[in-house]
Amino acid sequence: MNSLPADIGGPGLYAVEFGDIVNYFTPYTAVLFVFALVFTALAIASRPERQVDIIFGGDGYYTKDIEPAKLGFQRFMAIACGLATLGAVVSGDVFNFTLFTSMVGITNIGIVAAYTNRHVLNAAFQYGIVAMIATVPLFGGAAIILATTGTLSMWELFGPAIAVPLIAKAFLILGVMGEGMAPFYVAKAEITRAPGAPYVLMIHVSSLLLFLRVTEIVLSM
Amino acid sequence: MIDILLFGIFAGLLLHGIHRKVIARVQGRPGPPVWQEILHTLKFSFKETWIPVTASQALFVAVVLVALGIWTAALFVLLLEGSLLLLFGMYMLHKIVEHGLGLSSGSPYGKFGAIRSVISAASEIPLFATIGAVYLVTGSLMISDILAWQQVHGPLAIAMPPAALAMYLVILSKVHYSPFAIIEAKEIVSGNRTEHFGVWRAGLDVAFALKTFVLLFAFVLIFVGALPFAAVLAVMLVLLLSLSFVCALCPMLSPYDTVTVQSLATGLIAVYIVAFGVIG
Repeated sequence: MNSLPADIGGPGLYAVEFGDIVNYFTPYTAVLFVFALVFTALAIASRPERQVDIIFGGDGYYTKDIEPAKLGFQRFMAIACGLATLGAVVSGDVFNFTLFTSMVGITNIGIVAAYTNRHVLNAAFQYGIVAMIATVPLFGGAAIILATTGTLSMWELFGPAIAVPLIAKAFLILGVMGEGMAPFYVAKAEITRAPGAPYVLMIHVSSLLLFLRVTEIVLSM
Repeated sequence: MIDILLFGIFAGLLLHGIHRKVIARVQGRPGPPVWQEILHTLKFSFKETWIPVTASQALFVAVVLVALGIWTAALFVLLLEGSLLLLFGMYMLHKIVEHGLGLSSGSPYGKFGAIRSVISAASEIPLFATIGAVYLVTGSLMISDILAWQQVHGPLAIAMPPAALAMYLVILSKVHYSPFAIIEAKEIVSGNRTEHFGVWRAGLDVAFALKTFVLLFAFVLIFVGALPFAAVLAVMLVLLLSLSFVCALCPMLSPYDTVTVQSLATGLIAVYIVAFGVIG
């Protein structure tokens, strides 16, 4: 735990070993983990809302219901997104972090993919293109780190002995921003018009938590 | 600790009341009494409460509890002089609350508020410019270390005025009646809070009061330094008065102008940080 910088996310609390991959909790990552867990649990337990739409030109309105098959798929993708976010926020390895980040991008499209509204699907398509392009700097950043330092373990990278190139840090941030942060998030606003609030909310939860995590990683390196 | 929490809630509600009063006086109106927000919260606490039939019931209630949870936790992070990154992380998680409030009810007005909250995510980016600048100068993100640095070198607001300005912009984005408050604009009724009434509204008022108290308190600690508590409150009040003047005199921007202004501000701060880091 000593090689984790205590002056950024607080002192190390607990490490979870998977062979040579060692995930860890600090007060900071623990808060992110709990937050992701709460919203994953909400995606599992909640029923969706019924969106109310007003009929144009009159005072009538109607409500939208989600078909059970679509609901099941939407919920499954939201839970997968939650699990990928949980993995990303406690990951102790840069490559695992980038893998979980790209998985979040895929599941975000999946959450709204079952919903057959042209505007939402168009937005999901555009979001998918941005997210796919963003994986180039994301994995490129990880590759540069490995090539220049010889390791992807955060336990090593966070130590004072290793200097990570600025370009690798910039690529990592750019890659995560492409998964749904400003200013690459324009299509995401349209995606969230889809019904199924507990599941659609996971799109936003995952993007924000990934950005918070990459901030800690980049500052610590 | 409970006494500090209660003090934070009542001080935050009072600050909201003062904010409304100042805006009204600047605009030539009498305005409500300064304790109006405290009365509002008490009134909503005893109003009849239910959950709309179209709402996602668990989410509708959970977002109110999450709002209360994150701002209570943020207050204690501040009081215990913990990690600034953790504090600002909680601030960013408030965006989920804004989003969840709007989406959970099924109301079209709430939905518009929620979508605008996604668009206005640019308001969080100046925050990370602030964090980067503070870390660059002080070498730590623990509030205790930042306070110690300021005791030796003087206030950070003088050492890095653009970083202080970035955080001022962040706070301005979150106060009621702000030029950037597009998620609760009147053309969408009350935006993402339209369907939360009764006890749910009281809970949100309490959480938002804590948010205002925490953000102003954090600004004073991070950019002015450790002061006697009465002086901290006085500086917080001055800061709020300046925000009220801005809110009273500036019309609300359109959603896309909001994003443009906030993105430009972030870009300028980012250039400043890079120049400071490379040249400095």
